[in-house]
Amino acid sequence: MNPFEHVRMALDALAANKVRAFLTMLGVIIGVASVIMLVAIGEGAKTYIRTELMGIGANLLIIVPGKTETSGAGQVGSSGIRKLTIDDMHALEKRTTLLRAMAAVVASNAPVKYQNRLRNVQIVGTDQNFETVRNLHAEIGAFISRSDVDARRRVAVLGRTVRTELFGETNPLGRMIKIGETKFRVIGIMEKKGMTLGIDIDDHVFIPVETAQEIFDRDGLTNILAQVINESEIERAKEQVRTVLTERHGEEDFTVVSQQAMLSTMQGILSTFTYVLGGIASISLLVGGIGIMNIMLVSVRERTREIGLRKAIGASRRDILLQFVIESVALSVVGGIIGILFGAGVAYGAKAVFPVIPVDVTAWSVAMAFIFAFLVGAFFGIYPAVKAARLNPIDALRYE
Amino acid sequence: MADTPSRKPKCSDSGDRHGWRKVEQRRSSCRDEQELPPLIQLADVTKSYVTGAIPYQVLKNITLQVQRGEYVALTGASGSGKSTLLNIMGCLDVPSSGHYHLQGDEVSAKTDTELARIRNRLFGFVFQSFNLLGRYTIAENVALPMVYGGLGRKERLEKAKALLARVGLERVIGHYPAQLSGGMQQRVAIARALANDPAVLFADEPTGNLDSKTGMEIITLFGQLNTEGTTVIVVTHDARIAQHARRVLVLADGSMVADQHHAVVESVA
Repeated sequence: MNPFEHVRMALDALAANKVRAFLTMLGVIIGVASVIMLVAIGEGAKTYIRTELMGIGANLLIIVPGKTETSGAGQVGSSGIRKLTIDDMHALEKRTTLLRAMAAVVASNAPVKYQNRLRNVQIVGTDQNFETVRNLHAEIGAFISRSDVDARRRVAVLGRTVRTELFGETNPLGRMIKIGETKFRVIGIMEKKGMTLGIDIDDHVFIPVETAQEIFDRDGLTNILAQVINESEIERAKEQVRTVLTERHGEEDFTVVSQQAMLSTMQGILSTFTYVLGGIASISLLVGGIGIMNIMLVSVRERTREIGLRKAIGASRRDILLQFVIESVALSVVGGIIGILFGAGVAYGAKAVFPVIPVDVTAWSVAMAFIFAFLVGAFFGIYPAVKAARLNPIDALRYE
Repeated sequence: MADTPSRKPKCSDSGDRHGWRKVEQRRSSCRDEQELPPLIQLADVTKSYVTGAIPYQVLKNITLQVQRGEYVALTGASGSGKSTLLNIMGCLDVPSSGHYHLQGDEVSAKTDTELARIRNRLFGFVFQSFNLLGRYTIAENVALPMVYGGLGRKERLEKAKALLARVGLERVIGHYPAQLSGGMQQRVAIARALANDPAVLFADEPTGNLDSKTGMEIITLFGQLNTEGTTVIVVTHDARIAQHARRVLVLADGSMVADQHHAVVESVA
């Protein structure tokens, strides 16, 4: 018998009971749709993290004081016994060959005041290389220059948010603001950058690094940012940094984190997250499969006489088996397709309404959901189909 | 109908009660059948069911032959084993012991797929409760055995149309079974049984769910099909219906108690 006939027979049987078929499929539809949606969110988050981390600046090494065990994001603030200093940075500049540019960073929070407006913002003390290393640029006026750093000038570059909050429509260039108790002259406005990894760069104020050390009374640095010349030499560059600094400090009391290591750590966490979510969603797919099995068992019972008749007119066990397996596979596959469309629709719909939500419907999740739905139908369809195929034609024909 | 359609029934016409060895002797006098083994040949067939602890014997040592072109009625009280005998002959059931040769082939040696093929190609079944599938049209119901026979959709429906014409129902092709009367449904079932041009038409109480007039119409149809060459085996408890067959086998408590041959009843109206 032509296998195409089996498929047509199965679809006919389902079409004869549309509401029931749809309700049975609903379990699979919900299961597949949730797999698609949750994986889309997980994958979207991964893509988001990747672009954000790339946005920090390419091939970045971050050197922070204190030894941390992992290659994670590292710690913020100087809790190490020995501090990182500007001299450390100069030594690195002289003695490493694989680094292009380095920026010293001192970060702290302070109130910023213009006339009667006050805002608490992140103050970043840094130098002229910061623009290159972090890929952040002044749009109006100028960024901090080398001479600003050397002369410890009291000049400030404002992020976009700080500028609008403090100045409104007024042109801030050349005006005086107060950071803490110290007066600074505004020399530039940063380009608009938005949120990066939950930090609003636009809500920062940049001042020369040594000026920052002075007003915050610090001699150490929060971190040193360094850009590796060649992407393939990131690991070697890290090694160079370690050698130079260990020699100077006598021990490894600092941590070198590469943007790539951060990326892979974050991606790893998010992958686990995605798999866990996908796994939980698959459980509902499994429950949908049990629903299919249940309905198929009912269907076999209901159609006992039909099975008997089909056997009497020439259906073999294999024909009956195939008929019922194909019916349950058709249920799960059609449910799977509807679920994929529904899940992807909701994911993209959410993105259209709330663009902040990162979603990414991947081909692999669609393929996986489809194959899984198929297997669920086949697996849960086999038992009822075997039951149908084994029916004795005479008993089946007599069944009331 | 008075002129017997072929010599075949004549050949088998006298014998079976005496066991088939004797019949074989007789058959040798009938030259054109000499090479062909009998269509159905049962030897010492028993069937028992085990319900609880006691095995219950439904058929006891049945030995019989049916030749091509015969019209046989199986009668007996309910529980006499007539339906079981029909099911065994129709390959829907297997004997507990004894031999069943179908066209000379031992049936017990066949696989499920082979038996399904035999039922599909050689047999047609008509049941008391028509057993039409409600979600299919009349034409699709008639075409169903051809699906398992591997015929294409177009040929199937064409042939179904021809078969429905043969049972006088060409007008209801696109209807659904629920829209037809019982007699019409049984005619559809007969058309379906004829789908793959079977050698034997089995009918189990085909008039049981019909009023006597409609039942008689169905029986007339069987007679007509038999005249056209189809072997017909009917199970019935109704003596009047059995009258229409040329040979009546009577069962009682699982044994065959009579094998009567008689002339065809002339008036079936």
